[in-house]
Amino acid sequence: MNKTININLGGYAFTIDEDAFETANHYLNTLTRHFGGGEGAAEIMQDIETRMGELVNRNKGTRTIVNKVDILEAISVLGTPEELRDIDFAESTTNEKKKDTSSFQIKTGKRLYRDGDDKVIGGVCSGLASYFGIQDAVWVRVAFVLLGLAGGASFIIYAVLWAIVPVAKTVSERLEMMGEPTNVNNIAKMVKEELEELSDKLHDTFSKKDSKFSCRKSPKQDNTGDPKTSGWTWDMKTRQPEKLEAPYNHKDFV
Amino acid sequence: MKLDNMKAQMRKGVLELCILNLLSAEAMYTSDIIEKLKSSQLVVVEGTLYPLLTRLKNAGFLEYYWMESNYGPPRKYFKITDEGRTFLKGLTDSWVEINEAVSLTSHKS
Repeated sequence: MNKTININLGGYAFTIDEDAFETANHYLNTLTRHFGGGEGAAEIMQDIETRMGELVNRNKGTRTIVNKVDILEAISVLGTPEELRDIDFAESTTNEKKKDTSSFQIKTGKRLYRDGDDKVIGGVCSGLASYFGIQDAVWVRVAFVLLGLAGGASFIIYAVLWAIVPVAKTVSERLEMMGEPTNVNNIAKMVKEELEELSDKLHDTFSKKDSKFSCRKSPKQDNTGDPKTSGWTWDMKTRQPEKLEAPYNHKDFV
Repeated sequence: MKLDNMKAQMRKGVLELCILNLLSAEAMYTSDIIEKLKSSQLVVVEGTLYPLLTRLKNAGFLEYYWMESNYGPPRKYFKITDEGRTFLKGLTDSWVEINEAVSLTSHKS
């Protein structure tokens, strides 16, 4: 049993199975995205839809309801998005590809930011290191300290830079800091890296916690590092619930 | 240099010539154009033709009008414009040249 839907496909009225409808809808949507920005895309889609209607109408013959096979046959005649990508835009892509790369790059120049992820004080040195393409920010830090000790004004310079250089917060700012073009690929790469970093961090924290829990003999012995979730704990000796000396306010939980 | 890519490029150049050729004789319904081209083995999937037709139309080589149909919704008929004929003339000339060049080089041995 299948639910049916009434549709208008390119001027043909059909009663169509739900799964067939999903297939057709997905196909047309994919194509729309494929032709998306191109010239006359709406018109192309209209033509394709009309033709699809015609093909489906022919396939279904005298049946009342359009099924998935009808749709799949029509798609095989019209061509899957992959087939269409290979052939029809072969010519126009040469120009469009060039256009694409340029339009996706918003800004390519390097910009000076403070690196909040790699900082000792304010991330000024690591920001400068990225800006000048120095692999290791340590050298910039050493230079700053040496200049400061030699009577230079590097401490003041540092303070001023700290105050006026913005910290790279967003992904695109971080890319700009490293001088990589701000395009979709790089942003995706960056986000992926950051997620991996984050999951590593989380993993580390949890494994530390685990080891802490495993070597602990009783909750009383080291309750300094314990996560205090409620004010109550179980005293092993008295076997009575016991209120911890809570270093927090009750208000925090209300 | 990929064979598939070259093939696609060649097919594509010739495809426009064929469409214009077909339409220079008479105005045709889109699906009929496709049937003709498919019988000539030039078209693999139909979807490739619609962008092509739209491009030719936007370039001013083709124009279309709607015709009522007994079987379904109104049909889009394409016909060639004067500009299109001039373009077709140019294409045909260069096709003849290419054809000569190819046959000249391939029958040399």
